[in-house]
Amino acid sequence: MRSTVVRSTFDRSVPVWIATAVTLVLLMILPLGWLGWVSVSSEQGATLANYVQVFGDPHLQKALWNTIVLAFWVGTASLAVGVPMAWLTGRTDLPGKRVIRALIMASFVTPPFLGAFAWVMLAGPNAGLLNKIYRGLTGSDDPLMNIFTMPGLIFVVALYSFPYVYIMIVNTLELIASDLEEAGAILGASRLRVALTITLPLAFPAILSGFILAVLQALALFGSPAILALPAGFHTITTQIWSFFQYPPKVEQAAAFSIPLLLATALLLQLQKRLLGRRGYAGVGGKTGARRPIPLGRWRWVALAGVFAVLACTIVLPYAVLAKAAFAKAWAQPLSWDNLTLANFTFTFFEYSATRDAVINTLELGIMTATVGAVMAALLAYVTNRRLVPGHQALGFLAVAPVVIPGVVLAVGLFIAYTRPPLVLYGTLAILFVAYLTKELPVGYAQADTTFKGVHPELEEAGRILGAGRLRVLREITAPLAKSGIIATWCFVFIGVIRELSASIILFTPATKVISVVIFDLKEEGQFAAISVLGLFMLAMTFGIVLLMQTALGRDFLGAKD
Amino acid sequence: MPGVTLRGLSKRYGGVAAVDNLTLEVKPRELVALLGPSGCGKTTTLRLVAGFLTPEAGEIWVGDRCLSSATAVVPPERRRMAMIFQSYALWPHLTVAQNVGYGLRFRRGMARADRDRRVSEMLRVVQLDGFEARYPSQLSGGQQQRVAVARALVVEPEILLLDEPLSNLDANLREEMRFEIRRLHETFGITTLYVTHDQAEAMVISDRIAVLDRGRVAQVGSAEEIFQQPRTRFVADFIGRTNLVDAVAATPDAVTRGGLRLHVATADLRPGARVSVSIRPHEIAFANTADGRAGDNVLSGRIRRVSYLGDAVDYQVEIEGSDVILRVAAAPALRLRPGETVRLVIPPSACVPLPE
Amino acid sequence: MKRSRSASSSSSARKPLAPIVLLALVLAAAGASAQDARVAEARREGKLVWHTSLALDSAQRLATRFEQTYGVKVEVHRSGSERILQRVMQEFSAGIKNADVVNTSDTGHYVLLKRKALLARYTPAGAERIPAGFRDPEGYAWGWRAFPLVVPYNTRLVAPADVPQTWKDLLDPKWKNRLVISHPGYAGSVVTQIIALEKLYGWDYWAQLARNRPMLVQSIHDPGRTVMSSERAAGVNGADYGLLYTERRTPGATLAAAYPRDGVPLIFSPTAIMSFAPHPSAARLFTDFIFTRETMQILADAEGLYVAHPDVTYPPDRLKLSELKMLVVDPEEIDKRTEEVKKRFVELFGA
Repeated sequence: MRSTVVRSTFDRSVPVWIATAVTLVLLMILPLGWLGWVSVSSEQGATLANYVQVFGDPHLQKALWNTIVLAFWVGTASLAVGVPMAWLTGRTDLPGKRVIRALIMASFVTPPFLGAFAWVMLAGPNAGLLNKIYRGLTGSDDPLMNIFTMPGLIFVVALYSFPYVYIMIVNTLELIASDLEEAGAILGASRLRVALTITLPLAFPAILSGFILAVLQALALFGSPAILALPAGFHTITTQIWSFFQYPPKVEQAAAFSIPLLLATALLLQLQKRLLGRRGYAGVGGKTGARRPIPLGRWRWVALAGVFAVLACTIVLPYAVLAKAAFAKAWAQPLSWDNLTLANFTFTFFEYSATRDAVINTLELGIMTATVGAVMAALLAYVTNRRLVPGHQALGFLAVAPVVIPGVVLAVGLFIAYTRPPLVLYGTLAILFVAYLTKELPVGYAQADTTFKGVHPELEEAGRILGAGRLRVLREITAPLAKSGIIATWCFVFIGVIRELSASIILFTPATKVISVVIFDLKEEGQFAAISVLGLFMLAMTFGIVLLMQTALGRDFLGAKD
Repeated sequence: MPGVTLRGLSKRYGGVAAVDNLTLEVKPRELVALLGPSGCGKTTTLRLVAGFLTPEAGEIWVGDRCLSSATAVVPPERRRMAMIFQSYALWPHLTVAQNVGYGLRFRRGMARADRDRRVSEMLRVVQLDGFEARYPSQLSGGQQQRVAVARALVVEPEILLLDEPLSNLDANLREEMRFEIRRLHETFGITTLYVTHDQAEAMVISDRIAVLDRGRVAQVGSAEEIFQQPRTRFVADFIGRTNLVDAVAATPDAVTRGGLRLHVATADLRPGARVSVSIRPHEIAFANTADGRAGDNVLSGRIRRVSYLGDAVDYQVEIEGSDVILRVAAAPALRLRPGETVRLVIPPSACVPLPE
Repeated sequence: MKRSRSASSSSSARKPLAPIVLLALVLAAAGASAQDARVAEARREGKLVWHTSLALDSAQRLATRFEQTYGVKVEVHRSGSERILQRVMQEFSAGIKNADVVNTSDTGHYVLLKRKALLARYTPAGAERIPAGFRDPEGYAWGWRAFPLVVPYNTRLVAPADVPQTWKDLLDPKWKNRLVISHPGYAGSVVTQIIALEKLYGWDYWAQLARNRPMLVQSIHDPGRTVMSSERAAGVNGADYGLLYTERRTPGATLAAAYPRDGVPLIFSPTAIMSFAPHPSAARLFTDFIFTRETMQILADAEGLYVAHPDVTYPPDRLKLSELKMLVVDPEEIDKRTEEVKKRFVELFGA
């Protein structure tokens, strides 16, 4: 015998996979387990009293109902805006598509609570700039719009939810070959008829799932309702859960009130998954042949005006009013030389002591979460893509499972789980880290998964068979090929972390504030100028990262190659 | 140069056997094609040999080394093999020279200069000298293919594995590459397993063909053996076009179906047994073009359909007194029309009985 | 802190007590080296965590002054009184001991914290001169500052004839959608106000006010800002210090304050050191610092606050507390009723 049988070397990586699995279980099972348990616990043992109390209270029923109304209309409004925009940019000869895509991307990364805050300055019924202009023009006593109402809230939330619909649909439209549409046209259907009878039905699963994504956004959002609904005297589930933490805290009721939100999210995601099939995008099939843009004729400029009207509402106006407030002595006063100042910046960055710590905390958490998250996501995606361990499907499922947990609910679970021994993480950055990691893992995993799907396994096998070991192949072949995708993963997680509010608001302590929490604190005080300064800072940071990501990917991250 | 022995190899995916108790012997310096339709287990077999998969049963031996068994597997990097993939699997982040030289880096004691020399030599062999600094994305499909070949050959593997290497090329290039691969095999003499679903490719390239059917070897032999003497209905049907007549043995050397009686190539049939008979269309002649020899089967029939194929004409002939329709290939010079009555001559040697 | 006061009695904040000059001199002489040791100890502790409901700019200014004087960093956590209690208690129940000095505008908090044994007893230097209204008899919490709750309004939006003269004036339907109110779940002073007016007019007052649908904001300083931005014409409550005080003294100001004739709730803001304070020396040094005449004079001059130090002088245009009819609520009562107040408020106002 020249050589003996050699055991496979791959056993030694098994502990790594096991550790990853255990971590996932800890991130998910512990908080959710405690959440469920506390929701049915009382001093006398297990009980349904918390549920009875929570769902029997007419005030809380109203919050529940408000949330349903909000979510439904946000979904509908997002469709009304997102579908035509996707069709116009994906299918027609609309001019300025690059700019439009860039602006939609900007809406996508704008923290919704900043948008909501900006819209307070734009459309507060009396002091709002747009209402002032409207009154000046028409002489009317009534405002053009009152942002502190349910329709106002729906409007603002939809402005930052429609990109979800847009992305779903644009990516689906790319898969629908022009032939299918031209087959309709040759049979005599008009352009509109083709869009309505062929394109629309083909894109229907994507449309419905875009609707569900927007609904989920609206369900889980905390910042916008806190800024717009509370002044108007109504609650949504998330703001209600948050106010359960006022002293003396009613954690059991918060837990009981979280469960329906959790179930609704899980149910909707299940539905969405079924709609899209296993692959995660519409199975439209057909070759993705060359696509000929549909000429809009004289409607071109009308359509363009419409698109820019929407983007003005999501980007141009809010950013402008934030900039104005940041540089003005009084935001509601007209912009003039006397009203200009840099004092807000000086105060925010040099005098207000919370800022410095919050910026450091946010960066620290952002970098830590993004790094650990990207590594974990990459590892998980690699394991599941290469089927390295038995039960790899379960790992993939666990990695995306946190998507069903709204930030507020996750925070309640983490709060309960980690304010008691053996792991008292509350009061440290660690609990925020755990929250962010859990919350961002699905996004990171999805990105990493796409990355590894793009690295053909044969590329690794070719290295193996030529004599390179598994780890060497990982280092010399897989890693360089996956690098840009993993950098993008890092950026996605980082952006998600620095804008996170709904979990942070429950988990922070005075020593562990992050920028979003400081902004919220300042909001409670009505410090518009300082909020605007911090808001601009946050946006600058976000767009810096987006640029980095685009450079890494060589394309915009909405998915289309430009 | 060792050979490869696969012994009772089995691999299941979710309860379905992809490879089922497969046994095959590849002699040293031999090129064996694994041929079969998709899902027959040929790629799984190749990946078992490469060590990417662990068999549930059976063993793989190369020379006197047992590389795979149900309990232990030598990892791919220690098998001294090379493989050419369907996707070529060229690394897009490495240049042509880096791609080709990759495997040489694991040769202990090989100097860098030596390595570079071997790489450029090999590139010359595949006619890619001067392309060292290019990246794979800057090459045509055929050039990429040749880089893949060079990368596999430069390491002088004991065993070379090819997984449908030509399926991504267009028809002309594919035919050219068949000869190229055969030429390289004759030059280097590496024991080779070649997976393909294309019978012509298998016939041109290989010393022997192993036809795979549902995870098992249906028949192994030279191209001629497989074509002339298919051993199963599956092989006969899969390799080339054929007429299959389901009949019953009447005597040890003849079968009947309805009013049709055929003398066949063997004399050991058990009367009363069910027998399928394979008759290649080009072995059937029309009586007015070829005089039959004594003992030939002579049948009358009527032309049903005529298809002109350029280098031949394909006829469908209804055989008188039976439900059998035979396809006959004839030279284009002969022009028969649908409805014409004809007589067919079939030598018994062309009627190959297949065990049911 | 005074345990019980009649709701309408005038404050004794301005009544000077006899200065005990001699004692002060003795303390100063003996204390020179003792003081050095305290500062050294505080520096060793490194920093101090201060939770306060004092308006953000003022709080930040004081912190900076302290840092410059003693070289000890102050971590300022400015928030609403109720939010401060929530955060400190949440930390405490998780076993986190971070807070050193706590200052809120809800005297009930100190009843609660004392009951839970979370306060350290400390008598700031010069405490003997602190007027009765600012004192806790047991010496755990010391009234530091006080301010009236008034009605801020926008002079461009409210005609002189329409300026509310009493709290009841705000019930007029002409104020519908024109009012803004700070939230008792956030601002401790509002708890006091709600109880004070409930005692005058019953819950019916607040129920009727809710019908005018005031905009709900959190901080007691936000109604003033909201009115100033002209988003609302008048506020149901505004702390009469900080922005509201300084802004209306600037020329051309549109922000003004009305002092209802039926009584102005007087809000005391005590300060106390936590029993578990991780930086006790710094906390004591800081407490002494904020009770010095210099510090308090700054608060009075810059913010228009009423403070505990008897020697502080007030700007001539500042109303004397004795000129106002004061509404004061007993801390024990605030502590007992705060839950009820918050619950009723949410029921009436929706959030």
